[in-house]
Amino acid sequence: MSRFFATGSDSESEESSSAEEITPKATGTAFNKQNLLLSDDEEDTKRVVRSAKDKRFEELTNLIKTIRNAMKIRDMAKCLEEFEQLCRAFLKSKAIVDKEGVPPFYIRLLADLEDYLNQLWEDKEGKKKMNKNNAKALSSLRQKIRKYNRDFETEIANYKENPEQSAEEEEEKEEAESGSYSESEDDGEGVTAKSFMKKKPAAEPAPEASKFLKGAADDESESDDDDDDEIWGSDSTDSGSESEDNEGNAASLALAFLKKAQDGDRQADRKKEERKRRSKRKERAEEEAEEEGLEQEGGEWEKVKGGVPLVKEKPKMFAKGTEINIPVVVKKLNEILQARGKKGTDRAAQIELLHALAAISEENNLGQGIMVKIKFNIIASLYDYNPNLATFMKPDMWKKCLDCIDELLDILFENSNIFIGENIAEDSESLAVSDQPFRVRGCILTLVERMDEEFTKIMQNTDPHSQEYVDNLKDEGRVCNIIDRLLQYLENKGSTEEVCRVYLRRIMHTYYKFDYKTHRRCMGIQGESKSEQDQEESEGEDSAIIMDRLCKFIYAKDRTDRIRTCAILCHIYHHALHSRWYQARDLMLMSHLQDNIQHADPPVQILYNRTMVQLGICAFRQGMIKDAHNALLDIQSSGRAKELLGQGLLMRNMQERNAEQEKIEKRRQVPFHMHINLELLECVYLVSAMLLEIPYMAAHEFDARRRMISKQFHHQLRVGERQPLLGPPESMREHVVAASKAMKMGDWRTCHSFIINEKMNSKVWDLFPEAQRVREMLVRKIQEESLRTYLFTYSSVYDSISMETLAEMFQLELPTVHSIISKMIINEELMASLDQPTQTVVMHRTEPTSLQNMALQLAEKLGGLVENNERVFDLKQGVYGSYFNRDQKGGYQQKQGYQRDSDQRGGYQQRQGYQRDSDQRGGYQQRQGYQRDSDQRGGYQQRQGYQRDQKGGYQQKQGYRGGYRSQNQSSY
Amino acid sequence: MGLSGRVTLVTLQVVMKIIKHYQEEGQGSEVVQGVLLGLVVEDRLEITNCFPFPQHTEDDADFDEVQYQMEMMRSLRHVNIDHLHVGWYQSTFYGSFVSRALLDSQFSYQHAIEESVVLIYDPIKTAQGSLSLKAYRLTPKLMEICKEKDFSTEGLKKASVGYENMFEEVPIVIRNSHLINVLLWELEDKSTVADKHELLNLSSGSHLEKCLQMLMDRVDEMSQDIVKYNNYSRSLSKQQQQKHQYVQRRQQENAQRQSRGEPPLPEEDLTKLFKPPQAPPRMDSLLIAGQINTYCQTVKEFTSQNLGKLFMAEALQGQGS
Repeated sequence: MSRFFATGSDSESEESSSAEEITPKATGTAFNKQNLLLSDDEEDTKRVVRSAKDKRFEELTNLIKTIRNAMKIRDMAKCLEEFEQLCRAFLKSKAIVDKEGVPPFYIRLLADLEDYLNQLWEDKEGKKKMNKNNAKALSSLRQKIRKYNRDFETEIANYKENPEQSAEEEEEKEEAESGSYSESEDDGEGVTAKSFMKKKPAAEPAPEASKFLKGAADDESESDDDDDDEIWGSDSTDSGSESEDNEGNAASLALAFLKKAQDGDRQADRKKEERKRRSKRKERAEEEAEEEGLEQEGGEWEKVKGGVPLVKEKPKMFAKGTEINIPVVVKKLNEILQARGKKGTDRAAQIELLHALAAISEENNLGQGIMVKIKFNIIASLYDYNPNLATFMKPDMWKKCLDCIDELLDILFENSNIFIGENIAEDSESLAVSDQPFRVRGCILTLVERMDEEFTKIMQNTDPHSQEYVDNLKDEGRVCNIIDRLLQYLENKGSTEEVCRVYLRRIMHTYYKFDYKTHRRCMGIQGESKSEQDQEESEGEDSAIIMDRLCKFIYAKDRTDRIRTCAILCHIYHHALHSRWYQARDLMLMSHLQDNIQHADPPVQILYNRTMVQLGICAFRQGMIKDAHNALLDIQSSGRAKELLGQGLLMRNMQERNAEQEKIEKRRQVPFHMHINLELLECVYLVSAMLLEIPYMAAHEFDARRRMISKQFHHQLRVGERQPLLGPPESMREHVVAASKAMKMGDWRTCHSFIINEKMNSKVWDLFPEAQRVREMLVRKIQEESLRTYLFTYSSVYDSISMETLAEMFQLELPTVHSIISKMIINEELMASLDQPTQTVVMHRTEPTSLQNMALQLAEKLGGLVENNERVFDLKQGVYGSYFNRDQKGGYQQKQGYQRDSDQRGGYQQRQGYQRDSDQRGGYQQRQGYQRDSDQRGGYQQRQGYQRDQKGGYQQKQGYRGGYRSQNQSSY
Repeated sequence: MGLSGRVTLVTLQVVMKIIKHYQEEGQGSEVVQGVLLGLVVEDRLEITNCFPFPQHTEDDADFDEVQYQMEMMRSLRHVNIDHLHVGWYQSTFYGSFVSRALLDSQFSYQHAIEESVVLIYDPIKTAQGSLSLKAYRLTPKLMEICKEKDFSTEGLKKASVGYENMFEEVPIVIRNSHLINVLLWELEDKSTVADKHELLNLSSGSHLEKCLQMLMDRVDEMSQDIVKYNNYSRSLSKQQQQKHQYVQRRQQENAQRQSRGEPPLPEEDLTKLFKPPQAPPRMDSLLIAGQINTYCQTVKEFTSQNLGKLFMAEALQGQGS
């Protein structure tokens, strides 16, 4: 930097000596073209169009050339192929053609090709000799071109009338072409030198240029090619870093054109115009080159003598004596910017140039308007420094950018009379110091957003366990600071839309941070012992209030759905993080995000997942086990929590995800400092599942249709069971599994010691801000659920049990025990009643024993079997109607429903119920008017009898079966 | 053929050997098998000796069972033991033995050696105090079917084979030499009453549960089988209908053609056009039914015995109090 500042202020000789670059890889020194930059905007815009046109035409002519070659060697296949390509290319350039008319060379080719084909077609001999492929291609090409040429009939007719002119034109064109090609091919020197000599014999740089060309032309022929393509349009305004030989080419080419332009009277207007413009420009360039030539030469010699191998490029901003004023600076700025995004532009140099320009403008007191403009551009080119959007900026670059934004904000705050906006057109800018406020084009919000994104990218790409990460993370404060300042600025000046955007940025930097200050304040502890710094910190605004303010503004004002969605999610997250469960839950329910989140883009979905998880954890902390489980179920059951939360990629085979997708997914990752601890998440989920599932399992031990509450928990249990040797638990999961086993036996003490111990504390529970409270809640829950489990499991053993004993066993207060048992009785989970005077629970002993359960299940299964059997029978009988009818509202289903609730009522009643049920069934069938003869119905009744009296009925059933069979056989 | 209705004589030695074999090698639901040796005397099949099939793992695949059997029998002949192959034995787990494997191997035995029987030894029932050893043979009808490998519905119907007449049980008589009888008498004197107490075990739950469990499994299988059959018969009837329609249409068309004086359409192969769906083999369901039947018998037997015991215990208790 200092060097550039020096350049700006130093002596002229230094200044003039620049324009010289010796890079180690370059074959020779290169002239810096910086001093040749002079095109103005107007021309620039036009050039773009021209360049597009020329590119297209170039493509066309190239194709035409190959076709002509193919024609020469009679390669019809090739011809056809190329012709197809040509048609496509022509279609592509349709827009240009519409504007400019069909290019004559195109028509020429069409006409020639048609003639040629016809000729070939006539030549029967030749056709015979042709190989199969070629003949085929010929016929299809002939058809094609016939069809195609219909569209150009008039043009072709014109051409045929006057082939001379068109040919001439074409020739011209080709010549020009070859002129431009020749540069890249071999004789760079000759052409340049000659042309130079012709026009400007005294041009100083010429010999040197040619000398360098000689060296460079070979090495860089490739880049030359590129440049030749561009030469029509781009050329002389190329950046300083571009090598000299290009310039030489450009110049010489221009000269060649000039020469031609003089005698090219018959040329099309279009071309003339083009060339004129070019020549004008070239002339100007030449002049300037000339102007500086002397100085350059001097500088050059000096350098060589000095023998310095590496001379850094030193931009010479302005010619000596130029009065530096705003238009000049703006012009210069534009010059520099034009090089932006071009191939071969040295981006670092560009940034430095801009810095130098800033320094100059500051030095000359050009006012803040221009400063702001330059700053904008510096930041933009800093972003440009990295061409690949996917990779991250270098941290030092990013820090520079941070500085710049800071400075920019400084300026903006100091000068309230600067208006900036994206929608201010370049030409309506007012940069001059005057009474009017400055108007500068540019959007600081976008810059800050980009900066923030780059910050995220840097964090994503830094190893989270390194010191570097910590260092980088320290910059987050600055980022927040900048966002805060921007927020202030935009609150005063920006539109609501912009305010929403910057608010969201602010929210994004706030929502995941736990507000320890407020937490401490709320807890009301260690109020005095705080150090000064702490006190200072705690005076800052409560983050909850900030979040509330910002989010509410967004809810009210935002019109894009995405910002609002994000804001809501962040708000919920923040609430959940700070244990404001009800607010969080209500907000989640009110937003109806669950319904349509799957339509959101992946980052928002990740945010949603994070929010849900945080919500679940919050519910857990509050002791809402069921809510916690439900919130976490979706994330945990997939087994891809890591991926869903954007905290890492799962190893998968490459078929599912190619490299491209992987990159995209990597970009979505949440930076490490925002991660939710996955082990904590899993532990919370498993513990909630345990608290729900174990009593449920105990209550429904014999239920055949028992459903799992949590598949994952069962999976863990199974894994635990499969272990051949069960040691003391090590991991978090093993702890939970061991605890579950203890709980199954109603042993709450063991369960407690497995869930809450040193290991688990350090692994999980201490991660909560209110660890002690959570642990207390957990103990309580474990006691309660163990009590329930105990009652479910062992109620059949007891006739009655004193509540006091239970209270003592589970270390719960009597009223709690009372309420739990009452709840169980009310829910018909426990068949018992409370004996008030003695404070005992009297069991009704109606739970079926396991054998009874088994028998019931068997009976049910047999019912199904009979049902199925009857279907077979029906089919044999061909009674379709009744069969389907019965299927719909069949007794079996009724029975199922019946059994489900009777299950809870106890075995004896159940058996009764079953009987009743089978009666119903029989009755039902009778009602259905199912036509059977008496024999069969007898069979049914026998079956009922079986159910009424299992032992006796067994043989009867056999009889029924026999009867059934005989009936079956006799009915054939 | 003429063997049905005959008595099988088994010596105590064989029984002991089978029990010993199970005790040593069988665990839980694992099954042990072995070869029975003996001879046919008049209308009796006398089983006088046996030897187990060795347990061998998958590793020694080159182990030749047939070779082993031949070797074994040759060696036994050298020591002057009956060496005629008259069947095989198998242990069972809660009476689950009616399976395809048993059917197949018994078929091949009976096919090769006409008088072969299979002895089924139930260790669990034996442990409860009453020796359970049963001899089974395939009925001639089943033999026919197996020979023809026709397990379709029609085949079974034609042969009128039901689950109850798949196997025939051959009564067993355990006969010993006098010397052994004397020994037994002596032993009986020496044994204490306590040794026979298993017979009086009142607990029934676990055994019944187990039986029910297995019964349920079979019933499930049966249900599935029926559903399969049901699907089959439905698709069959649907196809029949289609076929019928097709034939009718064809006839109509031909009639029209005839009226127009055109030649009738050629007859196409209907079986090709309507491939009948694959009929599910009925043998499995037959076997399952047989198995269910066995389970039921077991449960019935067990419960009736237990009921008796319970009544006895009640009476005893009444006396005691």
